[in-house]
Amino acid sequence: MSEGIDKQILDSYLTALFDTDKAAALRIVQEALDGGLTPEQVVFEVIIPGMEQMIGGMISDNLVTLSQHFLASQIAEEVTDRLIPLFAAVPEVRGHVVIGTSHGDFHGLGKKIVIGCLKARMFQVTDLGINVAPETFVDQALAVGADVIAISSMMVHTATGERGPKRVRQLLRERGVEDRLRIIVGGAPYRFHENLYLEVGADAWGDTAAQAPEIVASLVCEVRS
Amino acid sequence: MMTGMERFGALMSGRTPDRVPIVCNLLDQGARELGLSIREYYARGEHVAEGQLRMREKYGYDTLAGMFYSALEAEVLGCRNIIYADDGPPNVGHLVINTPRDIKSLHVPDELNEHPRFRELTSCIGILKKGARGRFPVLGVVTASFSLPAMLMGVGPWLDLFINGDPALRDELLETCSLFCSRQIAALREAGADLIVYVDPLASATFIQLRKFRELALPWILRDLEAHGPAGVIFFNGGGRINPILADIREHVGIGAYYLNPYDDITEARSLLGPQALIAGTINDIRLIDWSPDEIDREVEKIMLAGKRAGGFIFGTLMMPCGIPEENIRALVAATIRHGHHAEAGACL
Repeated sequence: MSEGIDKQILDSYLTALFDTDKAAALRIVQEALDGGLTPEQVVFEVIIPGMEQMIGGMISDNLVTLSQHFLASQIAEEVTDRLIPLFAAVPEVRGHVVIGTSHGDFHGLGKKIVIGCLKARMFQVTDLGINVAPETFVDQALAVGADVIAISSMMVHTATGERGPKRVRQLLRERGVEDRLRIIVGGAPYRFHENLYLEVGADAWGDTAAQAPEIVASLVCEVRS
Repeated sequence: MMTGMERFGALMSGRTPDRVPIVCNLLDQGARELGLSIREYYARGEHVAEGQLRMREKYGYDTLAGMFYSALEAEVLGCRNIIYADDGPPNVGHLVINTPRDIKSLHVPDELNEHPRFRELTSCIGILKKGARGRFPVLGVVTASFSLPAMLMGVGPWLDLFINGDPALRDELLETCSLFCSRQIAALREAGADLIVYVDPLASATFIQLRKFRELALPWILRDLEAHGPAGVIFFNGGGRINPILADIREHVGIGAYYLNPYDDITEARSLLGPQALIAGTINDIRLIDWSPDEIDREVEKIMLAGKRAGGFIFGTLMMPCGIPEENIRALVAATIRHGHHAEAGACL
């Protein structure tokens, strides 16, 4: 398939994402596959650039909204899950992340968007759900051999509280596994206070879900080096 | 010196008060004032009223918050589990809506005061009204029908329903939520709320595009306020940016006061709203946790400068986190008083 046609597909896909029109976006994906694009091309040349341009706010000077982020990520996750088994070669997993919302926090939207971004970028993700105890983050991270623990918080007290990321850091220290795992945090409180991630004991934070794959990749690199 | 009520009254009748009125949203902090846990505090309306009256007296701001926590609305609609924290607002721990059938069976009580939690809330507002003795407006708070489903089914599933789902099911849910919203407004006003803070984060530009706002959210703002009308209503951002939707709400709904997000530009808001509407400009209150008094002063001065230039201005906070030290709350109010004085008090705006 020529580069020109790919661009046309990507443009149509971006328009569908911008309009939060899921049916149209999935139709474009199917037509691309029917038209001869390989599953790899669809994922790497349509889905991922679409997701990153949308979530990274690169397709419009206007504010890109959470509903657009949500849809771009949702489709990325769905399509990637469906197409990876059809790849000619098993893709290399770039790292393993356990993710959940902090203890006492029942807001799962940001986590869901990040999961879509990470999966589309070939990270293995274990979703621990919402309201996750700090012990569970650490136990599960060790059980699955994760590289990174990702903790999402929507509220200040769940970001900064004693059962949040601070306690996860403390547990890593107590169990002597700080060198094997990194902590990344995200969510509204960190956007209003850019150094808050340091105060809660995290190694990094992501302002948008689109940044998550790159930041997680560098954390994985640190852990494995 | 004017009272808070006089300051708001002056603004609403187009005059300049002695200083910019201050809305300082201290909620869970009331538990600390009374030496109670947050669960004990919210168990009784009289506790919350006492906490609010004490905090207003202690810090000297201009309003009394007649609200407990947002999740109380979900409780009235059937949420069976509220999760209490030691240092933050109670959270929804049980989603009322998990299947389409749950939407169909969602029920709004005819008489909201029959629900014990709502009765505690209206009892609190009644005590506040009495305690205020006409000096400070009591704020009642309602969640807009367009945002309420997020508390009933989770934000993700609600986004999924209104973006990708069955429009008939979506509208059925919104009908029920709108009925609840308008009944709440009536009940809070009857209990003594002077102003209604109408909270609609999902309608903000942070969540949806302007086109979707016009198509999906705006009609429901109109519906929610149909019975009560826009008088005495403050449109609250709920944590999202609202400048992009201000002109539409002003034109189609006619609400007279808008509570901005810290990231909304005050000058732009004024040009979008025209000269009559009131604007509450907000400080990024998460930073109050660790800003020094000097930093707080500089930030307040900056906001006040823009606000006074814009006119018809109120200074506000979002939902102040519990982690803000008392001395910083005092520094905030002192700075707003210092920078909020109007030399031309009494003049027409």
